[in-house]
Amino acid sequence: MKEFDVIVVGAGHAGCEAGLASARLGHNTIIFATNLDTVAFCACNPSIGGTAKGQIVREIDALGGQMAVNADKSILQMRMLNRGKGPAVYSPRAQVDKFLYHSTMKQTLETTPNLTLRQAEVVSLQKDKTRFVVNTSVDVKYQAKAVVLACGVYLNSRTIVGKCIEESGPNGFKSAKKLTDSLVKLGFEPLRFKTGTPARVLASSIDFSKMEKQDGESSTSHFSYMNKGVPAQKRSCYLTYTTEETKQIVLNNLDKAPMYSGEIVGVGPRYCPSLETKIERFSDKERHQLFLEPEGECTQEFYVQGASTSLPADVQEEMYHSIVGLENVQIMRDAYAIEYDCFDATLLKNTLESKKIAGLFLAGQINGTSGYEEAAAQGLVAGINAAKYIENKQPLVLTRQDSYIGVLIDDITTKKSTEPYRMMTSRAEHRLVLRQDNADLRLTQIGRDVGLVSDERYNLYLEKVEQIKKASDCLKQILPPKAVQETFELAGETLPKSGISVKDCLKRTNINIQLLQKKLGLFEGFASDVLEQVEINTKYEGYIAKQQALIDDAEKMENKKLPLDLDYEKVSGLRLEARQKLNYFKPASLGQASRISGVSPADIQILIVWLAQHKNND
Amino acid sequence: MSIVALSTPAGRSAVAVVRMSGENSIEIAKKVFSPFPSQPNFLKVGCLDVGEFVERAMCVYFVAPKSFTGENMVEFHCHGGMAIVNRVIETLLEKGARMAQNGEFSKRAFINGKMNLSETEGVIEMIDAETIAAVKAGENLLSNNLGKKSVQLQDKLLDLIAKTEVALDYPEEDLEQQTLLQMQKETQSILAEIEKLLSTVKAGRIAKFGIDVAIAGDTNVGKSSLLNALLGFDRAIVSATAGTTRDTLDAQVVYKDTKFNFVDTAGLRQTDNEIEQLGIDRAKKTMKDADLILYVVNGQPLEKQEKTLYVLNKSDQIDYSNVVRDDCIVTSAKNNVGIEELKEKIYQMFCADEIYSSGQMLTNARHVDCLTRAKEKLQSLLDNLYDTTIDCSALSLRDSWSALGEITGTTATEEIIDRIYSKFCLGK
Repeated sequence: MKEFDVIVVGAGHAGCEAGLASARLGHNTIIFATNLDTVAFCACNPSIGGTAKGQIVREIDALGGQMAVNADKSILQMRMLNRGKGPAVYSPRAQVDKFLYHSTMKQTLETTPNLTLRQAEVVSLQKDKTRFVVNTSVDVKYQAKAVVLACGVYLNSRTIVGKCIEESGPNGFKSAKKLTDSLVKLGFEPLRFKTGTPARVLASSIDFSKMEKQDGESSTSHFSYMNKGVPAQKRSCYLTYTTEETKQIVLNNLDKAPMYSGEIVGVGPRYCPSLETKIERFSDKERHQLFLEPEGECTQEFYVQGASTSLPADVQEEMYHSIVGLENVQIMRDAYAIEYDCFDATLLKNTLESKKIAGLFLAGQINGTSGYEEAAAQGLVAGINAAKYIENKQPLVLTRQDSYIGVLIDDITTKKSTEPYRMMTSRAEHRLVLRQDNADLRLTQIGRDVGLVSDERYNLYLEKVEQIKKASDCLKQILPPKAVQETFELAGETLPKSGISVKDCLKRTNINIQLLQKKLGLFEGFASDVLEQVEINTKYEGYIAKQQALIDDAEKMENKKLPLDLDYEKVSGLRLEARQKLNYFKPASLGQASRISGVSPADIQILIVWLAQHKNND
Repeated sequence: MSIVALSTPAGRSAVAVVRMSGENSIEIAKKVFSPFPSQPNFLKVGCLDVGEFVERAMCVYFVAPKSFTGENMVEFHCHGGMAIVNRVIETLLEKGARMAQNGEFSKRAFINGKMNLSETEGVIEMIDAETIAAVKAGENLLSNNLGKKSVQLQDKLLDLIAKTEVALDYPEEDLEQQTLLQMQKETQSILAEIEKLLSTVKAGRIAKFGIDVAIAGDTNVGKSSLLNALLGFDRAIVSATAGTTRDTLDAQVVYKDTKFNFVDTAGLRQTDNEIEQLGIDRAKKTMKDADLILYVVNGQPLEKQEKTLYVLNKSDQIDYSNVVRDDCIVTSAKNNVGIEELKEKIYQMFCADEIYSSGQMLTNARHVDCLTRAKEKLQSLLDNLYDTTIDCSALSLRDSWSALGEITGTTATEEIIDRIYSKFCLGK
């Protein structure tokens, strides 16, 4: 039997990060993929980032993960979403060359020491005392101390186009049929979720002249803090709309949509609905916005964002032809829905380790999430914690207070998902502090302590911290009214009567740091990412201070740990529902307990008292 | 663990009620009371064996969750002497109960989901009420009217928060301008509702604490006589010597459903007497703090003044038939003429509106605080709507939502809950 420290099942966005993390932390790791052409495959849209997701990519980068670095190498265009709505919700998003992204990641895996990449389908998983044993479809067994399951949407998946159903994974890749049974035997509870993808169409058959061209911005910097400067803008996207005809075609054929005919049993996401669902649900809306996005540099294929469907192929063709600019479009790959097994993530700890089976970690869509970024983030944490498990060291626990990744993991392990989970900025109660621009300041030290942050990255971080401190010193300087007169008049701000500090200048709505730099020669020699921090910290000082106070409060609740083996039936005063829920979830802290639905503030009070008494008895 | 406490006031009384709440309270009661009632909710006469003697008492029990606290509960109605009550409680403690802490019965009712925070506060307000108006206001809380209202406002805010979040999380839908307009309109409407609630604060204070009425005027115009007439007995010293009243003197009277807190003050005049001057300073402060000043004159009233009612006294000696002003009232304190009319006039000035008679007003400082904070957040959002970014406005909406939630306790933190329950009297 072949022996490894860590086995990672799956080489999607979660599996790659997991395998890289554990190998980089010095553990002999093997990643299995049913097909090596699926490594880091972007099965749906050819883009990385977006609202809340862009923040996650930057966090992965700060912790020493791979996604940002590799995405930067395959960018076709990049934009900052939500400009004008405030720094809390600025979100970088890039169109990427999905083929380049795949091959870059595959090469990264192939060249990483301690890492083996192997094509094989894992068919069973067992644990005897301390060792895991997995068997593959060619009956070769492997054993390891820890296992990360990152199977994506491949477990018992089937793709659906109208009435035609295939036992298949995404894009015709084969599905994994046996592993679910093995996991059910280990006590996991399977759920059935659904998602979908639109058609891919041929560029030369699209009438782009009828669409609105959307280019990237030349001002948005790379995802990775290691890559200074901005990426080249190589390709355009195009904005178009559905028509009245599209609506009619869909409504006339609704009975053929598997969602409505009962062919699909899985639960789909509300936030990323198929076109038929959108048209049916928002029937008063005249038209729906769609984007045409390039799949890569060396292909003619375009992705029709916003038009995923599982209608029969002939109806699809008719429907796509009714879209402005797609009248004569040639479909290259049909749109399809996909159904798959995933597992209730509330059976995991906030380290992504199973509560029942030590050393077993689950990451990615197998936990009921959606999105490449959400998957990669979990893979990174699972890979790190598999390594920590083997080393018998404290696991990495990210929190709602330090990162979106913390919010993500807390959400899925605390609330039972009833639909695929997508990260949104509104899920992060402290989003004014958890920004895309300061992920490095929040997490680099944590990544360094874990052991994934290189000297080069760490030094960059230390230098930035130092520079921010220096630049912030300039804020104290007092300027006479005369000195700022011209600048204030230019900006349309009322003049100060007496001397004004640089800080108070910067707090004015119409004055930004570039203006101060240009007109008054302040902040000279500082890099733009440093000045960005100074500016945000100044302009949003009051809001940030308030949020920080809330974070400190929350932190207190998170630090009140609850023992995993606590029997809540024995805590008197708790209501029946609370006892049952708490016994089911076994929360790690009072903070987590307070977020379980069915646990009231009064129940939390009782737990506070119980904890205090328990401490006294010890 | 079961808790026990005396629920009626301590001291001599005909009957005293001792209450016990907790899972094993019925078992404990069965050990001491026989024959034990055969079914819950029925009062039964029997013998309460407290060791040294046997007390003839009545007993009733309630089965969880159908009780005040939501737990099993037992009440003993015994004779009201302190010796008896103390022995009964001691016996119950010996059998396994423990003494209840301040407010613990109400706290258990809250914890067991029988009442929300503002409802439990309604209980305490009703107990503390000295007038019918205060009882009504407490009853209004207990029936959860404020709770319902704040949940309604929270719902509206939540709708608005959701709309805002869509604009932030779905930039491709391009909803920014539309959202800003909605935010402005709906925030204004919610703000107006909160302000309407807050406008009842004065009425609420009056229902709870009464109307503060200062009796002021020159020396020797009959202020102290007026006080005595209003009270219906001689409280203040009355003499013909100018400057008899030095210190302020307060006395209460309940008229209809409301308390009037009268304060007699020193007559206002130039004086070299140091003590009299101190009295005059006090008089001025009392006038400033009062809800209403009864300015007593013997002769022509002065100019119309804010919160001032002119009392044209000594009508037995002076002819006031030429004065027709609605801020004047004619009395003869000496002969008790015009006194009832004066009380009615005061009542009409403060207590005649619909809100007051319905009891739907804010009587609790904590509620006022929550609503004020909710209001401030929305006000600052509106003030800065176009100077700041939507992410910050969203934060203000959330803060406002959470402040409203503190009223019913849905967003209450442990500090808030502790503070509230420590105010409860024992036994409730």
